[in-house]
Amino acid sequence: MFTKRDCEGFHRRDFMQIGSAGFIGLSLASMLRSEATAASRTTAADVKGPKAKSVILVWLSGGPATIDMWDNKPEAPEGIRGEFKSINTKAAGMQVSECLPKMASVGDKISLVRSLAHTIPSHGPGTVFMTTGNKPSAALQYPSMGSVCAKMLSVEKGVPPYVSFSELRNGSAGLAGYLGTGYNPFGVEGGGGGKGDAKGGGTNMRVRGITLPPGFSLEELETRDKLLSGFDQGFKELDNNGNLVDGLDSFHKQALDILRSDKTKKAFNLAAEKETTREAYGTTPFATSALAARRLVEAGVRFVTISTGGWDTHGQNFTNLKTKLLPQLDQTLSTLIRDLDERGMLDSTIVMCAGEFGRTPKINKNVGRDHWARSMACVLAGGGIKRGYVHGSTDASGMAPATEPVTPDDVSSTIFQQLGIDPHTEMQTPTGRPVQLFREGRVIEKLVG
Amino acid sequence: MMARFFTPAVLLIAWGFASPAAFGAVTLPTGGKIQQVDFERHLMGLFSKAGCNNGSCHGSFQGKNGFRLSLFGLDPDKDFAALTRDIQGRRADPIDPDNSLLLLKATGAMKHDGGIKFSRDSWQYAVMREWIKDGMPRRKGAGEIKGIEVSPKDMLSLKAGQKAQIKVTATFTDESKEDITPFCDFRMQDDAVARVTPFGEISGIRPGDSGFVVLYRGQVASLRILVPTPMKPGFKYPKIEAVNYVDKEVFAKLKMLNVVPSDLAGDTEFLRRVTIDTTGSLPTPDEIRQFLADQSPDKRTRKIDDLLKTSRHAALWATKFSDITGNNTLALEQPQGAAQNLKSQMWHDWFRSRVEQNMPYDEIVRGVMTATSRDGKTPEEWLAHVKKIEEEGKKFDTSEYAGRKTLDMFWRRQAQVPSIEWSEKTAAAFLGVRLECAQCHKHPTDRWTQADYRAFANLFTNINFAANQFSSPDVKKVIDAENAERTSKVDAKNKNQVMVIREMFIAPEPRGKNVLLTHPETNAPLKPKAIAGPEFTPAKGKDLRGELFEWMRSPENPFFARSFVNRVWGHYFGAGIVDPVDDFSQANPPTNTRLLDALAKDFIESKYDIRRLERTILMSRTYQNSSTPNDTNRLDKNNYARSYVRPMLAEVVVDVVNDAIGTTETFGNDAPAGKRMIEIGASRINNANVAYALRIFGRPPRTTACDCERAMEPALPQTLFRMTDPALLQKMKSPANRFNLLLKDRKRSDEAIFEEVFLAAMSRFPTPRELDTFYQHRLTNTDRAEAFADVVWALINTREFILNH
Repeated sequence: MFTKRDCEGFHRRDFMQIGSAGFIGLSLASMLRSEATAASRTTAADVKGPKAKSVILVWLSGGPATIDMWDNKPEAPEGIRGEFKSINTKAAGMQVSECLPKMASVGDKISLVRSLAHTIPSHGPGTVFMTTGNKPSAALQYPSMGSVCAKMLSVEKGVPPYVSFSELRNGSAGLAGYLGTGYNPFGVEGGGGGKGDAKGGGTNMRVRGITLPPGFSLEELETRDKLLSGFDQGFKELDNNGNLVDGLDSFHKQALDILRSDKTKKAFNLAAEKETTREAYGTTPFATSALAARRLVEAGVRFVTISTGGWDTHGQNFTNLKTKLLPQLDQTLSTLIRDLDERGMLDSTIVMCAGEFGRTPKINKNVGRDHWARSMACVLAGGGIKRGYVHGSTDASGMAPATEPVTPDDVSSTIFQQLGIDPHTEMQTPTGRPVQLFREGRVIEKLVG
Repeated sequence: MMARFFTPAVLLIAWGFASPAAFGAVTLPTGGKIQQVDFERHLMGLFSKAGCNNGSCHGSFQGKNGFRLSLFGLDPDKDFAALTRDIQGRRADPIDPDNSLLLLKATGAMKHDGGIKFSRDSWQYAVMREWIKDGMPRRKGAGEIKGIEVSPKDMLSLKAGQKAQIKVTATFTDESKEDITPFCDFRMQDDAVARVTPFGEISGIRPGDSGFVVLYRGQVASLRILVPTPMKPGFKYPKIEAVNYVDKEVFAKLKMLNVVPSDLAGDTEFLRRVTIDTTGSLPTPDEIRQFLADQSPDKRTRKIDDLLKTSRHAALWATKFSDITGNNTLALEQPQGAAQNLKSQMWHDWFRSRVEQNMPYDEIVRGVMTATSRDGKTPEEWLAHVKKIEEEGKKFDTSEYAGRKTLDMFWRRQAQVPSIEWSEKTAAAFLGVRLECAQCHKHPTDRWTQADYRAFANLFTNINFAANQFSSPDVKKVIDAENAERTSKVDAKNKNQVMVIREMFIAPEPRGKNVLLTHPETNAPLKPKAIAGPEFTPAKGKDLRGELFEWMRSPENPFFARSFVNRVWGHYFGAGIVDPVDDFSQANPPTNTRLLDALAKDFIESKYDIRRLERTILMSRTYQNSSTPNDTNRLDKNNYARSYVRPMLAEVVVDVVNDAIGTTETFGNDAPAGKRMIEIGASRINNANVAYALRIFGRPPRTTACDCERAMEPALPQTLFRMTDPALLQKMKSPANRFNLLLKDRKRSDEAIFEEVFLAAMSRFPTPRELDTFYQHRLTNTDRAEAFADVVWALINTREFILNH
């Protein structure tokens, strides 16, 4: 329990120094530990200098039919090939589905990974696998990539490291797992989320827990805080060893810094964007969240998850893709990538667009496609990922990778290498078991230029 | 519990320093010589000590860079072959020992991903070189260990700045003994108290008490390192009256450390602590006033007895038992949704009713361990019973289920549970033992082998649930008819939304994935066997769980009573005697073995009387110590010299925040409004605001049996939550909260209301300075309601409020 947690023997002075570093979401024990972590980070000799600073995960919840998107198979036999033709993109040799013309126009800025595969065609565990880079296990809850970023990367004062616009699988994925609740994402509320009701304005968006809610002004906070300090004096003497009382004091100071900072508040002020930019992203909640995600990354957030649903197309796959899903994704994702690039941010921001699995090459009787994890494609861009590159391929009917097969572990390892974190960094679970970040992961060297 | 140990890599930095590279016999850094280097005793010792055979290095199942050692050195034959035969013997070259790959890599003369392990002039080099030069001899079995012994035994007391060398002697199966100290790995649990060199020299750093563990090739031994507080001139250790045996054992250890317990806690301090600890609530202002006014000498005793009898106390322990037994709503059987929440509630209330009637602990565990759905009923009786449970459920009533003999819900999960999970859950919940490592390998710091693990799982292969089968044709007839009627009313598509009746029973044969597990090496089927316990004789359809239970609760069982008294102790002190509370292992020794043994002995003798155990603990002077430290106990954190400041359970945070503001919670369809959070069984909470608070404060999802799922450490989002949560702020505006109700009486003074609000949150009267702070604030805010909302906000955000102390 708590009182034993500072057994590494850090002294109070160390604690206070680390405690004022401006990290957010850190738990007490990890503050005590962060010095050790920092040391182990620098010994990872094989890791190249970081190219990427942040990640935006564009999550297609339900499992997108990537065979009709990034790995179109117009030559495949009847019953497998979809209804869409392929079109050329701005990258030589890269083709995508005709429903993604705007993505085609940024083909020279992205990589497509066509040989991604895993073995779990079930939403919950599939989501966990893809978002953690580790095959789910009953014995251990792996942390999401965002939570790992929150733990391993520092942020400026007042900025949350990991922000999520959507609770993945109703809050059963995207969390901190064995790292502890301090590294869970900060959730966005007030429109812009997957189920948000905001009509593109996003003016009432805020990160839950780090901004003052409506009707609670900063002045009011300062007044109340003064009163609080009058009631919180006598307690300090009690705990000169466990660091708990000092730790909470340190959290209190950090909390005030965060609440006084307007960095995230400003990030949500989408009215500050040019109207043409806002229009380019689109007016859906998903579009709003994408624009806000870019602004959060500008403010220093390390990992942002945005999400859009409806991809579980067991029936009417093509109608759904053509009329609803793809036009929205095409507009917003292409704008996000172009916008990041134009601002010079794409080289330091990795964009990953994927869902929990692909869909069956075989079309079912409801003109749908069912769950299929044995082949899927995903988009990776930015942060040193090659531009205009297609990695791997699937066989003629899209059933399985044909060349350069990769797994979710490999994708995560590649992303973390680009962030300057050794994918094999050894972490400790609360039971003291050593675990590598991505034990099975191999960096996809061909993806990074 | 976090990084309890140094990683070997840290130790190695200091380890590689020079010692004479004598040839022939090898001189060891601890003095003494090895006449003949032995592969098993010395080489394999070095591999383990240097971490070469770790899972992340050559012990990995794929090996590393083509070189594979057995994980943690469990297989000398394989390792010998890997070193002497693979890659044409280049790893060890007796003609030119210095050119052996083993030495070139370890010294960094050739690229080695694992880094430089030692230098050419080190003693380790000399040991390995000598063995290679000798032609890599092998005395098969020479390194089989009977046991290791550490001297001094059990305890080492030394002053800060003082050094002492320990000696580790191994006895091998051929009865030969050898000093193997430099080949051991050492781990100091608290290196703020003492440090250890790679050769076992211990130095005291500052006053305190640390566990110390010695590892030698799978053998584990431990002792405690005591660094007593220096005595000031003229210091005389005071005599403090022991209330009961708890104090006797705690004080005895404290005296060895020259640490004096804190003063007795004052009445308000005691009342707040004991009310939070026993009922997850704050004492009300009236309760506080009554308690202070009571002049009788036995008022604390009476208060303890009253609190332990409350239904809230039972609810709090039902919450804890729900964690321990894995009451995970999402994993319960179909249909999903509200029906699952209701089942979780039954699970919770089954425990609650038992704690409330103070059923002996072993009987409670019997109800879990030997559960079947029918509880011995005839098919017709059972059907009527199930229907009654369902009927009552519509009115949030769980009494029929809570009145069952056994908790079949524990075994009723949506997906078939493999036998290894049942055994892991049983071990963690009722024996305080973590087994999961042994699924794949023997744990390097614990005793359990893969064979132990599998033989234990074989007790649970016949658990049957949800397989559309029933225990007998009679049951099948009755239930099939009922289920057919239930499903006939809905579309085929919605069949899984129907509550069909399923039976949990013991099948005649292992079912589904639950085949009888076999020995990892011989592949022979393993006879069911308790960990560190007897074998059981299986027979067709025989429920071995009953015999297992009888072994568990027998007075000789080394874990059963200890595990539970330790959980109870951990609950009341914020740190277990073994901590984490469910990690009884050789490498995690108790801080006070005599105390743990005394509690367990008394618990067994009382026939597992939980309330008596709690009463003994709460009555002790040790529990009633003040949290204010004195000069001698400021640094104490595992000998209970003062009451430790500690965070509260997430559920309790939700409840005490409501207590402080004077509001209640709503739970939608899960429970009637006004219930307290500790009364809720479900791990999935539909009130999004409550669910958010619980997540922030670390309520466990109950997916694994590990106590570590509950996050008990504070985190920044918790502070932010108390400052900014919209639902919380809304409660401060509620017209029905405490201060708004008080304000309705216009005649009531500001001071009177402030005192009441302060008392409700802090469980003590405000000091004059605090009263003044309030007056000053009141001057700036002319709106009474707003001013009191400010006060409540401020109180909830104090450290004093959010911690128990």
